[in-house]
Amino acid sequence: MKFLLLMSALAFVSCSSWKPEKKDNLADINLDVKEVTLDNGLTALIIPDHKLPIFSLYLFYKVGGKNEVPGITGASHFLEHMMFKGAKKFGKNSIDFIIEGSGGSTNAYTTTDQTVYYENLPTSQLEQMLEIEADRMENLLLDENDFEKERAVVLEERRMRYENSPRGQLYLGLMSHLFEGTPYGRSVIGDIADLKTMTREQIYQYFKKFYAPNNVVVVIAGDVNPRKAKEYIKKYFGHIKSSPTVEEAHEALKDEDFIPKFKQDKVVKLKGESPSPIFMMGYPTYKAGHKKGYALDVLSSIIGSGKSSSLVNDYILTKKPVATSIYAAHQSLEKSGFFFLGGELVQGINLDHFKKDLKNKLKSYCSTEITERNIQKVKNNFQTDLYASLDNNAGIARFLGNRQLLFGDWKFYQEELAEYEKVTVEDVKQACEELVKTPSVFISVWNKHK
Amino acid sequence: MKIKLALALTFICSSVFAESNFLSSVERTKIRDYEVIWLEDQKFPSFIASIYFNDGALRDEVEGLTQVAFDQLSSGTSKENEKQIAEFFDFYGASINHSITHEYSVFTIRGLTKDIDPVVGKVCELFNDAQYPQFELNSYIARKKSNLRNLVTSHSSLADRVYRKISLQGTPFATEVDGTLNSLDKIQGKDLKTRLNEISKAKKKIFLAGPKDVKKVVEVISKKCNWSQETEITPMEVAKPSEQSVIYLVPVPGANQAQIRVGRYLNRQEAIGKDDQFEFLAGFLGGGFTSKLIQELRVKRGLTYSAGAYISMQRDYGRAGVVTFSKNESTAEVVGLIRSILAEMELPQRINENEFKHQQGHQIGGHAFNFEKVNSLLNRIISYEHQKKSLSSMLDFPEKVKKMTPTILSRSSKEVFPWRKMTIVVVGDESLKDSLARIRPVKIIDYKDFL
Repeated sequence: MKFLLLMSALAFVSCSSWKPEKKDNLADINLDVKEVTLDNGLTALIIPDHKLPIFSLYLFYKVGGKNEVPGITGASHFLEHMMFKGAKKFGKNSIDFIIEGSGGSTNAYTTTDQTVYYENLPTSQLEQMLEIEADRMENLLLDENDFEKERAVVLEERRMRYENSPRGQLYLGLMSHLFEGTPYGRSVIGDIADLKTMTREQIYQYFKKFYAPNNVVVVIAGDVNPRKAKEYIKKYFGHIKSSPTVEEAHEALKDEDFIPKFKQDKVVKLKGESPSPIFMMGYPTYKAGHKKGYALDVLSSIIGSGKSSSLVNDYILTKKPVATSIYAAHQSLEKSGFFFLGGELVQGINLDHFKKDLKNKLKSYCSTEITERNIQKVKNNFQTDLYASLDNNAGIARFLGNRQLLFGDWKFYQEELAEYEKVTVEDVKQACEELVKTPSVFISVWNKHK
Repeated sequence: MKIKLALALTFICSSVFAESNFLSSVERTKIRDYEVIWLEDQKFPSFIASIYFNDGALRDEVEGLTQVAFDQLSSGTSKENEKQIAEFFDFYGASINHSITHEYSVFTIRGLTKDIDPVVGKVCELFNDAQYPQFELNSYIARKKSNLRNLVTSHSSLADRVYRKISLQGTPFATEVDGTLNSLDKIQGKDLKTRLNEISKAKKKIFLAGPKDVKKVVEVISKKCNWSQETEITPMEVAKPSEQSVIYLVPVPGANQAQIRVGRYLNRQEAIGKDDQFEFLAGFLGGGFTSKLIQELRVKRGLTYSAGAYISMQRDYGRAGVVTFSKNESTAEVVGLIRSILAEMELPQRINENEFKHQQGHQIGGHAFNFEKVNSLLNRIISYEHQKKSLSSMLDFPEKVKKMTPTILSRSSKEVFPWRKMTIVVVGDESLKDSLARIRPVKIIDYKDFL
């Protein structure tokens, strides 16, 4: 269906335990996870929590924009929409009705690396929901009439998110220039021409390749009996054949094919309906799990997260404000990553001067802003964010499912948290100094651009 | 006095809830002078404290005054400047934020329970000693005005703002809580100090979520915040909305898709005793992928990506509306379909029994999710308290939905969404004028007049 998530898989760190033990150390968290692996390659994680008679079910398929090729850009997302249109056993357009009729809710999102389906349901619905998920994994209908109607909906979504949104325009532009010539440079929602011409058969072949038990992680968090849940998983998914081609498809995507090749800074000016300039500046970085990524996460938080961050101090809380908003973040993807800054300038500010000043400031931050206190501040914030993010079943499922899909091990979060604990001033300084020497893309949208 | 609200669900109607043991304790108690409602949550050593002030933007002499008084609360005291204050909260991993409505204001603090003393103490320092320095205020107003001028980059937000203003015309609630380009220029530091002083004297309630330690928040407030509880906004009467005769078209450059808003405001009398009916109606019309609007506009016709409906009440007024968008070519068709859907809803015999039962299942089965996220639940409790609705009624909803009938649903729809009273706002390309004129005369308005 349904919503397209712009940002990709591993959005910074967030984690938690639902156990009420007080933890002072980020890495000192214990999760009670039951793991199931079927012969056909399906992995499932079950995390019981009986506080309320509800649960969340997440299916993480390892397929996204990066798996597409020119001509079928947007296929992952289009397919995501079609997955709600019905499968053999439960019939046409029944999925939403079954889920919502019992009090549940459902949705999905597509990123560069994954397509994720989720449901929040009353406890009594576990068996039927697993049956539905297995049915559409195995026997999706892909009805031709529904396909055409949904094509119109996807195009409408594209208009809403990108064509009528300068911020959407900006994000698409950043990705296409930063990752030019790599699969990450294509738009996840798809090029208009591809969306208009993509056929049902193309989507069907795509589905057959990627929607299989050996390409999915199932996570159930909430009021479920783990023994029963395991039984249902075996009952409904156990007989589904694994995809013989999916491994090959993943292996064909080499890490080096995702590394941006540009050697000089790029400046891109897009005309858009924004009375004051909005901008993003991006630098290519490292894939998820790379050691240097942790230091970059901390760096982004120091300089661009929160009211006391360096960028806010220098560009917003000043006598003559330069920006109305400004931020920095680090995004780790499966095959690569990027560090980015962004914001909206106050009207009347000279964009070229600002760009130059921003780059100079970023350089100076490497020596002035990375202090023991600031690193401790970031760690303190990680802790509160961590608690907030796992306030509910869905948060727990997302947290574990992402790691299982990306690293093949949900326990990888322990290593991640330990890495954050170990990050030192020197690590962050070094990461900062390397970053500012890397060629960047500066992109802006403004109605004064030609 | 300590009243244990038996939210232990013994009286929850649905058997699903009866099995559960959620929300094992919500306590209402009086600590010192404050009425305190504590939502126990042992999961993490962290807390949420929301201070409710019975005072909101209705008392603003200049539009935006209350909002700015809270926005700039941390812009400087006699001892610390804005950057030092920001550094303090960020270092503790604590956050402060606020929500201002016309009728009331809520200031919320989040952090780790071990840090309650310093964090809440600092909040009291802000309320006691905010100076609203001119330098920071000028900077803030410049940013705020720039943001407003740039609102055209978000057609959806712009449509919400214009629709709100037009649909509430003639009521005290039409004023902009966060100010306008003109009003922001009139706000001075001394006005903000005066306003903060008034807010500090408003009747308050303290809403807490977290482990038992969270009650320390009240002790710190009692010791350190120089607050009294003398004033409160009294309820006000609002006339019923009048009939509408035009479609308001707000041209924006370069749009190939239009934002559509259809709805009206309600006065309190219209809603008395009907909150549950309205909640059910909003869900039936526009809550979820199986709702009437989504099925008709998206699933059957592919005319939009999303469509929703809401009916939300404050104490003295409420707002009801339909929110959607569509490409230019089908905008008029969508407005026409909304009219047809609402007309059909007025006829009980046209309410499909399966759809009706489906919606009952949806709303009854989904009720437990209202209690999952502590933050959302706390906000819901605050809203109930403000409207003087009993918290136990929060649990009655499934039972009331069971008793709902197509006739009640139809009657509610007729009351809430009579077409002749619907304000219609379309934000999109000016060329839509001709197609929209087939539905109602079109009045073109400039979005800049609403900034």
